Amino acid sequence: MMASPRVSPPRAKTGIPVLDERLQGGFPRPSTLLLFSDKPTEKRLFGENFAVQGARSGEVSLYVDFFRAPQLARVELKRFGNVPTDKLVFVDATSSQLLLPSQEPYHIDDIGSLEKISAAILTAIEELHPARIVVDSMEFLIDRFPKEDVLKLWRRLIDAAKAAGTVICFLFINWTLVERDLQTIRAMSDFVVEFQSSVRGGIVRNSMRISQMEANGIRTNWIPYAFKDLVGMTVYFPRILVTGPFNAGKSTVVRALSEKSISIDRMGTTVAFDYGNVNMMGIEAEVFGTPGQERFEFIFKIFAREVSGVLLVVDSTRPEDLLRARQMLDLVGPRIPYVVLANKSDLPGALAPGEIARRMDLPEDVPVIPTVATEDKGVRDALLILAEMIIGVR
Amino acid sequence: MSLDAGPRLQAVLAELRRVPDILGATIARRDGILIASALAKSMDPRKIAAMAAAIVGTSEMAATEMGLGVFNQSIVDTHIGKLLATGAGEEAILITMVRNDANMGLVLLSVDRAVQSIAAILDAESEVSAEATV
Repeated sequence: MMASPRVSPPRAKTGIPVLDERLQGGFPRPSTLLLFSDKPTEKRLFGENFAVQGARSGEVSLYVDFFRAPQLARVELKRFGNVPTDKLVFVDATSSQLLLPSQEPYHIDDIGSLEKISAAILTAIEELHPARIVVDSMEFLIDRFPKEDVLKLWRRLIDAAKAAGTVICFLFINWTLVERDLQTIRAMSDFVVEFQSSVRGGIVRNSMRISQMEANGIRTNWIPYAFKDLVGMTVYFPRILVTGPFNAGKSTVVRALSEKSISIDRMGTTVAFDYGNVNMMGIEAEVFGTPGQERFEFIFKIFAREVSGVLLVVDSTRPEDLLRARQMLDLVGPRIPYVVLANKSDLPGALAPGEIARRMDLPEDVPVIPTVATEDKGVRDALLILAEMIIGVR
Repeated sequence: MSLDAGPRLQAVLAELRRVPDILGATIARRDGILIASALAKSMDPRKIAAMAAAIVGTSEMAATEMGLGVFNQSIVDTHIGKLLATGAGEEAILITMVRNDANMGLVLLSVDRAVQSIAAILDAESEVSAEATV
């Protein structure tokens, strides 16, 4: 017997297509998200982005902000570009602390009373039926009230969100709770999104990892992300290397992928490098093409650091170069995801992808994609496959 | 606290830009990744970081090949101005753009001071992160 089809509301998109695809269109409704880290990180960016994406697609988003006055939050959200302000509703928790009258329809009048906090948020959920809720953040409450009471409130909010068919996100940095409490909180959630930030050599890197709590659920790798002005959150790869033997079509691949690109070439061959900025499917990547000739290998070495992934371009009509291609891969180092682009696949005598894989002795799970870079064929697919391999959604 | 490196590097760039002949400056890692920038809006600092890494990498190789010893600085001279790519510690490069009629003595002195500050800031940061991983 077939299960009767259930009409489920559209999922809540993150606004990052490459992730939404893996989430089968977004986070299901209702669901509970825990945005978690044990150190300060950029998880507010995820929360804000989630609320903004909702508001932009015509949904009502409710943002409970314990730290900022709504007026200030609205100014800060301007960096996302155009945000329909009537769709983004705040629960004001700061005016009462400053003894100011609140300008917002929903406000917490006594920040010292968990009951009042709970009542204000629940009223907003019941009256508004928001499609998305962001609570920024739970550590604010854990720091001020008894743990058991906060957990009780936490559960009530989850229940209210479920009744309203909403996706609710809780931001939470853990300073004080022990592992057992954390497990309870994880178990209350449908998805846990963990966040990491690091600073090295003055360069800040952020990443996140999405895990679905149910058995055999989705679990991604650490996904590097960044903020793009006037757009929002993007998956960000600081370096995708395009490499391969001489005259395989690397510069053409960089050009085909990029909105804007530069090539430092002389007499038809790249002497320094190609550079392009890629923007597709919510992915932002900086693509570096290396020279193919052995005499420029020192240039290759300059750029072969902190590589997110490699597009290895080979000329399908030149089997004699495949060994060199394999060697170039070894220059990048082990454990870096790569995709082979079997370029010039439209030319007579082009080897089939399977044959190239066999001759290069590639592991079975390495994709070999036929491409015609001059006609922009297959190149974007190859990059998308590489991106999915890096972030672990493939 | 290692998170301070960003603002401190920006301060070094701001200080450099106070020199009247200096038109802009950027700090990049030696592999071409941008660290901090104070350039005109029309320029893409990430692109410039990549090119500077190639200039420095190539110059360094040439210097070694020709037995000229340790790399210090590359100067690109054009009819409008000059581009100085200077090593700043083990990891970083300082890129400085100057006007053609600049007082080069003053510029080089400021650049020299800046690269020392940058090296010190990045060194201090790597010590902090080394301690944190212990």
